[in-house]
Formats: sequence, C-alpha cells, structure tokens
Amino acid sequence: MSNYVKRFSAFDRVVHWVLAVAFFVLVFSGLGLFAHTFFGYFDFFGGPEQGILAHKIAGIAFLITSVLLFLAHAKETCRFDGDDAKWFGAFGGYLKRGGKEIPQGKFNAGQKLFALFSFVATIALGLTGWVIWDPTAMERGLTQMSLMLHGLFFILFMMGAVVHIYLATIGNPGTADGMLWGYVKKVWAKKHASKWYKEVIGE
Amino acid sequence: MARKAFMIDTSRCTACRGCQVACKQWNKLPADAEVNRGSYENPPQLTPHLYNKIEFIEKGEGKDFTWRFLNQRCLQCGDAGCIKVCPSAGALFHTEEGLVGYDQDKCISCNYCVNGCPFDVPRYDANNKVTKCHGCMDRVANGLQPACVKACPTASLQFGDRDKLIAAAKASGKQVYGETALSGLGAMYALDGSPQDYNLAENPSIPQSIFLWKDVIKPLGILGFWGAVGAAMLHYVTVGPKQLEDDFEDKGGE
Ligand code: HEM
Ligand code: SF4
Ligand code: SF4
Repeated sequence: MSNYVKRFSAFDRVVHWVLAVAFFVLVFSGLGLFAHTFFGYFDFFGGPEQGILAHKIAGIAFLITSVLLFLAHAKETCRFDGDDAKWFGAFGGYLKRGGKEIPQGKFNAGQKLFALFSFVATIALGLTGWVIWDPTAMERGLTQMSLMLHGLFFILFMMGAVVHIYLATIGNPGTADGMLWGYVKKVWAKKHASKWYKEVIGE
Repeated sequence: MARKAFMIDTSRCTACRGCQVACKQWNKLPADAEVNRGSYENPPQLTPHLYNKIEFIEKGEGKDFTWRFLNQRCLQCGDAGCIKVCPSAGALFHTEEGLVGYDQDKCISCNYCVNGCPFDVPRYDANNKVTKCHGCMDRVANGLQPACVKACPTASLQFGDRDKLIAAAKASGKQVYGETALSGLGAMYALDGSPQDYNLAENPSIPQSIFLWKDVIKPLGILGFWGAVGAAMLHYVTVGPKQLEDDFEDKGGE
C-alpha cells in the first residue's frame, strides 16, 4: 500500500505556479513604482516603460489564475465549522511545540482564511488596477482612491504571501510536496487534515 | 538661496493674454487648434502646449455680472503633490529658487503626477512625457525674468524674492493666496475678491488618499513586510516547524 495520498490535480498545480510566477513579476515590477528605493528593479525588465508593461501583462495572468485557483477549491475553502473556531482559538497550534492537532478538512481554518483573503485582494487589485491602467482616463478622485487601495492591498498581499510561503515550506515539512507533484505523505494528511484523510481513505 | 516666486495681482490683469503668447514663444510651443465656445477664454484648459492661460470667470447676470481674470498655471508648491507621487527621482524637482522643474529624460510616462496635484496642472505631450509651467527655470537660473512676466504690460505678473513680494502685496492692502498653504506656493495670487470668487479652494491641500498612500501605507508596508519575515524566522527558531514525527519532551520556546 502506498505511503502517499493524492492532494492536488495537475490543473491545480499548474494554475498555482503560474499564479506564483505572475505574483513575483508583479511584485518586482510594482515595487519600482512604489518607492524610489526599488526603482532599480525596473532594470530586470529593460527599463521603466517595459516594467510597467510587464506589470500589466502579469496582472492579467494573475487575475485569471487566482480566480481559477479560488474557484477550484471554493467548495472546501468557503465552509467553516466548529473545529475551525477551535483552530482559530488555539492559533492553529502554532504557538507551542508538539500540541494535539485539531481535526481539519482538506484545508485548515488558516488556509481557508488565506484563500478567501487572496480572492478578495485579487479582485480589489484587479479593479483598482483597471482604473489606474491609464491614470488620466477616469475620474480624478476615483483614480487617486484606486492608487491608494492598490498600494494597500499590495502590501497586505505581500505580508500574506510571506506567511503563506513560510507555512507551506519549512514551517510545515511535507506540505510543499502536494503543490509540487500532487501527493502528500499519509502521515502528513493524518496530522494536518485528519477529516479530509478519513474521507479520501474511505474510513 | 532665498526663495523666488510669482505674485499674480488679479486686479491689474486686463486679459490681454500676452503671457500665454510669450510662454509659447519662449518654450517653442505650437498653437492648439480650437473652436469658439462663446467666451474669450481659450483653450478651456491647460494643454500639453499651454503652460499658463487666463481663465475668464463670468458670474451673475445683468447689473450683477462680474468678469474676473485668473492666470492659471503650476503654482510651484513648496510641498508639491506631483513630486510626492513621482516614482522617478529627479523627473520632478525643486530648483534652487524653489520652482518646480522637470526633466523629461527621467520621466517614465506613468501619468501619476496629475493625480498628486491639487490644481490639475501636469499634462502629457505627444511622447507621453510630463509638461507644465516650470517658471522658466532656464531663464531664472540665468538671472532673467520668466517670459510671461517680461511680457505682462500691466505688471499683473511679477517675479522676484518671495518674502519681498508678499510684503509689498500686504502693504498695498491685498489678500495673498498661497502664502502658507502647501508649505507656501511659489506662485501666489493677490486676489480681487475671495478664493471662491476665483474658483480656488480656500485651503488647498494634497488629496487625502494621496497622503495615505505615500505617507502612511508606504512606510507601514515596508515595516509590515520585514515584520512578517522577522516573525516567520523567529517562529522557526523558537516554536519550530510542525514535524511529522512529533514526540517532543518540551513545549518549545525553551
Ligand atoms: C513561491 C512561493 C510559494 C510556495 C512555496 C507556495 C506553496 C504552496 C503550497 C505548498 C500550497 C498547498 C498547501 C496545502 O497543501 O494545503 C499552496 C496553495 C496555495 N497558494 Fe501558494 N505558494 C507560493 C506562492 C504563492 C503566492 C505568491 C500566492 C498568492 C498570490 C499563493 C497562493 C496560494 C493559494 C491561494 C493556494 C491554495 C490553497 C488554498 O486555497 O488555501 N501561493 N501554495
Ligand atoms: S509622468 Fe513623469 S513626471 Fe509625472 S509622475 Fe510619472 S515619471 Fe514623474
Ligand atoms: S501646482 Fe501641481 S504641478 Fe505645480 S508644483 Fe503644485 S502639485 Fe506640482
């Protein structure tokens, strides 16, 4: 019997990694506009005008893949229950070593929160990005507000991405496998997503 | 160097528009093809080829009719919203005299600056580069008067030492617009009426959303990013990761 269970389809994985690449292109091209300190990042793209163009193209790729990834998991991520309340109450067990894991579905409560945040922030960045595509085209107050909100959701997403990347890699060994090649170890599933594990094993 | 400035005395303006013409001549700007809108005011707004213009403010009917003339241009703010939002250091800048100049070679055509400006001034030329009144910074640096000031036949437009211009305007009983707003404008008005009569904001300021964006979100964001990185690193070396083989004696953080 295999030591692994299937977690993500090839579709999930490809969409996730296109999303991640688009996100980093957006970060590096966007930072050049965000603060003078990062203006040099435009050199990666061959100059500021090209950097802005890369940001617009990556923005479309990000918007599409982020919405697709959200929709692919929406059934699991939009449903919270009593165990999730307990999970939040215990901060997911991240504040102490070796505690007992609270039973969770395919995604734990924190992941679900991040998935919802990611969707909301994607839509906010997409809408404001559309307004500031040409900052002289639309009503002035709306453009100014959009510049501000685009910056706000950008920094929130950056902070979210740092936490996400930490918890998906070294913070929870074994987790990255699922998104890299589709399978996770059974011990991983039993520990992190026991309700989901029982479901897929058919116990 | 003592700050230099324009003082624009609206009561002396006859709307001859010599300033508009002199500016175009010195800055080699072509005429804009226009239509007759039933007013002498033309064009109706600043354009990429029009750095200053006379606004004709027509209010009231019959006996109450008033006609006021306002020289519109970049007001050379001390705290300039256009500079605040410009991503390319040096594309917009303060000159030694306190004028707000620009360098088109450094402009990256992002079109942000008009959104930072409280007065809707910056425009973008055929190459999508910033244009606006720069106070004839080239002439001023060489000890000359700006072209519009030189051309003005009534001395409605004056240019010189900022403090002296303010003192002179006040001595003749005029209300000075822009003495302190935005850390002091480098183009002030001696108004013949209230700011509202001239369609000017009573207390011009950098838009609230622009302030939040550049002075709150930007610094907090940089702090937040490094805070998140630091928190993750601290978590890893104190509590540590959730290992799959988890039979520890202690509770972490010890
Ligand atoms: C390169 C760095 C990244 C790594 C190593 C990484 C890793 C992962 C892993 C391992 C998962 C699956 C988690 C699980 O099995 O429960 C995942 C899911 C996900 N990731 Fe990433 N990721 C990265 C970048 C990003 C970025 C930049 C974003 C945001 C734009 C993002 C958004 C998501 C979302 C929305 C999910 C779906 C899970 C859910 O719906 O909660 N990822 N990531
Ligand atoms: S359009 Fe040019 S001058 Fe204006 S903010 Fe952008 S880079 Fe600066
Ligand atoms: S009036 Fe507008 S363009 Fe001129 S200095 Fe002030 S903010 Fe900049």
